[in-house]
Amino acid sequence: MKISRRGFLGAAGTGTLGGIVSLFGVPKNVKAAEIPEIKTVQTTESTTICPFCGVGCGLIVSAREGKVINIEGDPDHPINEGTLCSKGMAIFQLAVNERRLNKVKYRAPGSSEWEEKSWDWALTEIAKRVKKTRDATFVAKEDDGKIVNRTNGIACLGGAALDNEECYLYSKFARSLGVTYLEHQARI
Amino acid sequence: MTNHWIDIINTDVAMVMGSNIVENHPIASKWLTRAKERGAIIINCDPRYTRTSSFADIYCKFRSGTDIAFVNGIINYALENDFINKDYVLDYTNASFLISEKYSFNDGLFSGYNNDTRAYDKTFWAYELDGSGLPKKDLSLQHPRCVFQLMKKHFKRYDIDTVCQITGAPKDIYEKVCRTYTSTWAKNRVATWLYAMGTTQHTHGTQNIRSYSILQLLLGNVGLAGGGINALRGESNVQGSTDMGLLFHLLPGYLASPTKADQTLEDYKKNNTPKTNDPKSANWWGNYPKYITSLLKAWYGNNATPDNDFGFNYIPKRSADYSHISLFETMYSGKIKGLFLFGQNPAVGGPNTNKERKALDKLEWMVAVDIFETDTSVFWKRPGVNPADNQTEVFLLPACSSIEKEGSVSNSGRWVQWRYKAVEPIGESRSDLWILDALHKAVKKEYAKDGVYREPILNLNWNYGNGAEIDFHKEPDVHFVAREINGGFVQSKEVMILKDLKSFKKGDQAPSFATLQDDGSTSCGSWIYCGSYPGHTPEKNNMARRKKKDAVNNIGLYPEWSWAWPVNRRIIYNRASVDLTGKPLDLKRWVIRWNETTLKWEGDVPDGPWPPNDKYPFIMKPDGHAWLFAPNLNDGPLPEHYEPLESPVENYLSSQQVNPAVKLWYKINPEGNPVGDVTKYPIIGTTYRVSEHWQAGAMTRNIPWLAELVPDVFVELGYELANQKNIKNGDLVVVETARGSMDAFALVTRRFQPFHLNGKIVHEVGIVWHFGYSGLARGDSANLLTSHIGDANTMIPEYKAFLCDVHRKEGGAA
Amino acid sequence: MKALLIDSTRCIGCRACQVACKEWNELNAEETTFFSGKGYQNPPDLSPSTWTLITYNEVEVNNRFDWVFGKMQCFHCNVPACASACPVSALEKTEAGPVIYHASICLGCRYCQLACPFKVPRFEWNKIIPEITKCTMCADRINAGMEPACAKVCSTDAIVFGERDELIAEAEDRIRKNPTFYIHHIYGKEEAGGTCVMHISNVPFNEIGFDTNIPMDPIVSKSSHAMKPIPYVLTGLGLVLGGVSWVVNRKKELEKETKSGMEG
Repeated sequence: MKISRRGFLGAAGTGTLGGIVSLFGVPKNVKAAEIPEIKTVQTTESTTICPFCGVGCGLIVSAREGKVINIEGDPDHPINEGTLCSKGMAIFQLAVNERRLNKVKYRAPGSSEWEEKSWDWALTEIAKRVKKTRDATFVAKEDDGKIVNRTNGIACLGGAALDNEECYLYSKFARSLGVTYLEHQARI
Repeated sequence: MTNHWIDIINTDVAMVMGSNIVENHPIASKWLTRAKERGAIIINCDPRYTRTSSFADIYCKFRSGTDIAFVNGIINYALENDFINKDYVLDYTNASFLISEKYSFNDGLFSGYNNDTRAYDKTFWAYELDGSGLPKKDLSLQHPRCVFQLMKKHFKRYDIDTVCQITGAPKDIYEKVCRTYTSTWAKNRVATWLYAMGTTQHTHGTQNIRSYSILQLLLGNVGLAGGGINALRGESNVQGSTDMGLLFHLLPGYLASPTKADQTLEDYKKNNTPKTNDPKSANWWGNYPKYITSLLKAWYGNNATPDNDFGFNYIPKRSADYSHISLFETMYSGKIKGLFLFGQNPAVGGPNTNKERKALDKLEWMVAVDIFETDTSVFWKRPGVNPADNQTEVFLLPACSSIEKEGSVSNSGRWVQWRYKAVEPIGESRSDLWILDALHKAVKKEYAKDGVYREPILNLNWNYGNGAEIDFHKEPDVHFVAREINGGFVQSKEVMILKDLKSFKKGDQAPSFATLQDDGSTSCGSWIYCGSYPGHTPEKNNMARRKKKDAVNNIGLYPEWSWAWPVNRRIIYNRASVDLTGKPLDLKRWVIRWNETTLKWEGDVPDGPWPPNDKYPFIMKPDGHAWLFAPNLNDGPLPEHYEPLESPVENYLSSQQVNPAVKLWYKINPEGNPVGDVTKYPIIGTTYRVSEHWQAGAMTRNIPWLAELVPDVFVELGYELANQKNIKNGDLVVVETARGSMDAFALVTRRFQPFHLNGKIVHEVGIVWHFGYSGLARGDSANLLTSHIGDANTMIPEYKAFLCDVHRKEGGAA
Repeated sequence: MKALLIDSTRCIGCRACQVACKEWNELNAEETTFFSGKGYQNPPDLSPSTWTLITYNEVEVNNRFDWVFGKMQCFHCNVPACASACPVSALEKTEAGPVIYHASICLGCRYCQLACPFKVPRFEWNKIIPEITKCTMCADRINAGMEPACAKVCSTDAIVFGERDELIAEAEDRIRKNPTFYIHHIYGKEEAGGTCVMHISNVPFNEIGFDTNIPMDPIVSKSSHAMKPIPYVLTGLGLVLGGVSWVVNRKKELEKETKSGMEG
């Protein structure tokens, strides 16, 4: 059972309030009884790799009851040995950030606002757009009779922030549609 | 990177040119610091004095866009003073190869140039072959047409005075750079070259890297610990995303994406598989047919059969350039109707973003997947645009963050590292893996009844353990995907590996790409990842390994920490680190060595198991040698200095002002692509990042702690220019090019100094490019200034050098 | 006694330490503008939510231009003036080294701010129950056997954590080995009677934001000097004490309210 921080501090506080009499005295070099327990006690730890640059630093995420408590460098990681840069050190605010997207949003043509939508709705609607565009723009053969089997009506961008397994599925998915306008950050 | 981050500790001289390593890869500073403690010299060459310059021992300024002149001068210095590693050059490079009589170079042009197509006929630069089809060689390096002599002639024009007139580098410091760097020609000294987008983002970016590579090869620095050519990748998985083929011209594993010339799988194999008549050449790309066939099996499974060419024609074929600039030019013309965006923000990061934002207006629909609202996903309500006028439908799908999912990422040193899920995705956000899985399933369902050429969709091999239906609560099993990428046997098969016959059963995971087959018996999603997950259980997931034990050579390889492609090799081209008997060139920091007793290699995983000198070391080249002279590039076999598209000076060396092989978008599509003139825009502009933000800012500009550190966009300029323009530190100023203008705060600093170029004084300013109109920290985008022009080989945009003007904004005092 | 040694010649100005401090201590980001500080420096100064800060200094060293980074934070004096000035011992020098602060007993009198020769403690003017704020040297982490967040995150070991005497020996060694490079002074070894945050540098300390006029004796022994402004306050002692008791009572009341609210 954890001691509540407030109760803990309160109890010690009463004791030292007597110090008021030694108004300008030299403080006693006492061992502080009030130093709070570190916030990472009783957390589960898991390792991760920084999502920013290509150095690939290791981090430890401490979580309690499904909530992120702390994220700092993994001292066992041979590259960063527990150290980080300002961005890597700020990942806690990627995890806990009220600006994060947590709902599917849709913007209708001409609208000035987002509407919240369900995944089911969005996926079905997107699939309809994909089919309509693909079917309308698909070129099986060029004028010279050569097979090309592609659509130039759909483009795909991005991937440098995804995991390998995600990139792989993205590559596979895009090619299954016949997309050749497939590019990402490596080009720019 | 040929090497990896920790290996920086092993160097004697580190050249940081074309990167700002301390600011943009800060943890590399740990290893640079340790190299320094060992006595290494750090050189930094940059137009601006950065946090890297502050860290370096030698700082040499030079003008943006003149890297080739700068480095060609160092090459000339090495050649003139004979500061080269002769054995290495002779044994391991194509220095002794004879080149066709048709090769010549005159006034900035190589032979074979066609003015109308702006392209070279590369046969003019081919090797001269002997009767058996092998390149003729002159091992004395004296033949006037051998690569070495052609190089001497080519680089002679880059003497120190000429280089300083072109680049604006101070002569005394430049000489010191030449002296220090070329000191590593000695066998017991080694230098590393650390570059990034400062190198690649030019109309001659590929040739910038070529000049570094040539120098490194002449000095014998490739393949060794503390050496190499090291591209510092800027995103956590831009290495992996490239490895997985997210570019128009590549399939996973650097296999070419099919072109119209590849009407059948046979055509494709023939067009892409290099051949050699030299038994000593490993010619690794000779295995092309195995890798493409295994990829087709991974993608189309049982639907890939010899009868249907393993589904080869399911993959779209290209017949043009579909690179980023071309993509946005086409979008601007209205031909692209729909766009998927997974974590990319071109409204900030794309060149000439005024035009790219307008191109987005032409879309019928956009699907943006991200963890925050990005500038691109809200392009329809960007400043100056009335949403009512924009007809694009936008679907914004919430992705979860990297700590809310499991999977692997590949760092710049090719280490493929596993990440674990720490907490559940917030709200209704999902992993990109789930989103991609759901998108495929939704599209497949849409095509169940009818549709155009449905086979590639319906026959796609897609089963990741979470059922055929979309289920919000069922993630695809990322281990299934990882194992598909690694590959395995779809039929039982006996495979000869070196002299051993090995049996594999149907369903076995492949231990390495040496076991992959071209008969359809193996499947592999990305052959270079074969070996990353050679079993069926998570214990066999090599990417998740965390053993912190060094290899016998004790040079920081950590071979049991994660896994590196290819085949866990930590330093590639390592067969060039030994002499012809297998003895390390550098005994202190040896990478591999041949054990005469066991008849095996020790240390790192060698570039192939063959005994020393059985095969040439550069196994990915059909001739087995590193190419000092590269007859395959679009803009010449040797690097030549050209000015950026927009430059304040005329080319000092030739009448070819700009790389003659680049595509001139301003001529093809003049609308929205104006080019600035020095009379109106006399100042050089460049763009860069700061340590505290990342790329187009979607993540970091939404992090309050980082927004606090760098809250606004700023332009850095020197005191002389600031005085001329009556600009004070902190003023709000306007930076303007032919394409657009932006507001920024002026930071007047001694870290930018004017350049003296052949009697002319030229100023340069630099702008951070992270900013945009969305997010917590907002500001104008520097890419409003940049243009649609790219490198002649890679089509990477020329972000790093353009012409601009700067003036105080009316009423803009801070 | 534990201490930090900060070597500006190794600092790359990446500011991971600034963020690490905020992350561990759960400090809010400040709203800044680019020119809140000079150049890259941001926020402009230490504050209730910024306990450490990197300064960016364009300087001339041996006729060579350089860009040098300094680090500001509490010095954790061996004999802290702030603690000696505190009427209620809300500030306390611990055996481990950190000078820590007990918010629960602070009167809010701000004597510590006036006493500190390095001008470090900050007062939360905008809060109902204002506290004095400053770097704690991550006393909680030290207590748990960890190093302070800023030292741990530092990739180039510009900030190192260890026993104070060992760090002094290390600093002396670095200067001895590179005598033409370093300034021959360990800032904090003797300043204010010695501190637990010490700096070495290759540029004069006043050029990277340090006060080089700090007395070498503990400030407390000269309390009359250090406390010069205090008599102004003390002249109205009754009034002050009245104010003090009001603050204490008010704090207790508020605490009760919050508590019951939370429990409810």
